[in-house]
Amino acid sequence: MALQGPQPHNRATRENLQPRYSSRKPILGNDILQLWMERVRKLGVRNLWLTSAPRDGSEACSALAALARQGVERLLVIKLKSYAEMDLADLVRFHCESRSSVTEAHDARGQLGVSLLDKLALDRMGTERESSRAATDDGRPPYQFNGYAKRILSASERQELVGDVLTGACAMRPLGTQVREQVWIGEGVNLADSARVIGPTYIGAHTTVRAGATVGPFASVEHDCVVDCGTTVERSTVLPYTYLAPGLLIRQGLVDGGYLEDLNWGAVADLQPAGLGSRILQRKARKQAFSEAPVDVFSRAASAFACDFVPSSTTAQPWLQVQL
Amino acid sequence: MKTADRTILPFPGSSGTAGLRGLRKTLLDALRVSGPPVIVDLSSCGTLNHEDIDLLLECVAQVTGRDIHVLFVAGSRVTRVLLDVTRISSLAPVFNSVKEALAYPQVAAEKDSEARRASQTQGLWSA
Repeated sequence: MALQGPQPHNRATRENLQPRYSSRKPILGNDILQLWMERVRKLGVRNLWLTSAPRDGSEACSALAALARQGVERLLVIKLKSYAEMDLADLVRFHCESRSSVTEAHDARGQLGVSLLDKLALDRMGTERESSRAATDDGRPPYQFNGYAKRILSASERQELVGDVLTGACAMRPLGTQVREQVWIGEGVNLADSARVIGPTYIGAHTTVRAGATVGPFASVEHDCVVDCGTTVERSTVLPYTYLAPGLLIRQGLVDGGYLEDLNWGAVADLQPAGLGSRILQRKARKQAFSEAPVDVFSRAASAFACDFVPSSTTAQPWLQVQL
Repeated sequence: MKTADRTILPFPGSSGTAGLRGLRKTLLDALRVSGPPVIVDLSSCGTLNHEDIDLLLECVAQVTGRDIHVLFVAGSRVTRVLLDVTRISSLAPVFNSVKEALAYPQVAAEKDSEARRASQTQGLWSA
C-alpha cells in the first residue's frame, strides 16, 4: 500500500507567484491522509509507505518499480488528489475478478488517483512513466466508482468539499462540537460576545474570533487562527495559523498565512505588505504538548509531510514506512 | 493628466516617506476642489502596502458627502483583490482600466435603467 501526497501547485504567472494550496491541509479539522488510512486499515492492510512526489509522478513510478523488486506482489496506490468514500475491499474484489494487472478507480469525471497494481504492472512501470499509461495499455475497464468523490487539488474544489461537509452531503464530519444547526466549533475556541457565526460554518480548535467579526455562511476557519475585529469571512477557508487584520472582507477565498487566493478573480494576493494578514508562529507550549504526546501512526505520517507547503521541486521525498 | 471632464492621477504606490507625502498632497489637492470625478489609476502600482491603503481610504473620506467622486482603476487582479478585501471597492467604484472608468457614468446609467426595467417587469408579473 503506498500513499502519494502531491506537492502543491507552483503557478508561475505574473499574478500568481505563490503556491497556495496543498491537499495535506486540514479540511474542517479532518486530514485527508488520515481518512484514507482509516479506509486502508479497514481493508486489513498493515504496511503502508508514504511519500511526497512531483505531480507528474515520474519519480514515484520508479520508486514503485523498486518496491516490486523488493518482492511486493500487489500494491494499492492512493494519490492524495481526491476525497472519495470508496469501499476499497470492493475495488480489490473487482481487480481480482477482472484479472487485470492494473485497476484504476474512476468516477464520472475520470481518474480518482486510486489504483491497484500487480507485480507485472509494477515491473512495467520501470520503463513506463505514468501508471495511467500502464492502465490504458492494459485495455481493461476501470473500476467505476459511483459514490461520493471530490477532487481536492485546487482551492475551489476544496471549497466545494467544505460546502458538502457542512451541509451533510457526504459522510465526512467537521472535527468539533455541533453547537447549533450546521455550526461546529473546535475545542478552546475564543468567540467574542459580539462576533456573529452564521451557519453552515466551522471554527477550528484554539481559534479566536474577535468583537464584531462575522464568520459564515459556508466558512471554514481552521485551527489556531485569529479573525480580528469586524472582519467578515464568508464562503471562504482560512487555513491554520493565520491572522486576519481588523475590518477585512474575505469572500470566496482561501487564506493561508499572509496570502489570499481569491476564487472570483483567480488571483493570489500578498496580504503582508499592507498588514492585512500573516502567519501566526506556532506557540511553544502547544509544540511541547505535541512532542510529549505518544507518537502514533498519524503524527509520524504528519511529520513525513512537514515540508508539504514548499514550492514544488523535482525531487521526491523519501518513502516513509508506517505500520497500521 | 486632464481629459475634458475627468482628472486622471497615476498612483505609483508609496516609495519612501517623501514620495508618499508628495503623492498624498497631489491626490488630496485634486479632491479638495469640487468638480469632475477624479480617476486614481493604480495600474502602475505593483502591490499595496498599509500606507497606500491608508491614503486610498483618505481619498474616499475626502469626497464623502461632497459633490465630487473618486474612481479607482485597479489595473491588475491582485490590486482588485486587495481593494475588495479592504472594502475600498464597496466605498468607491473600482474599474479594471482607465477606459472603463472614463465610461463610468454612462455604464452606471445603463445599469440603473436595466435594473429599473427589470423591477418594473417584476412588478407587472406580481400584479
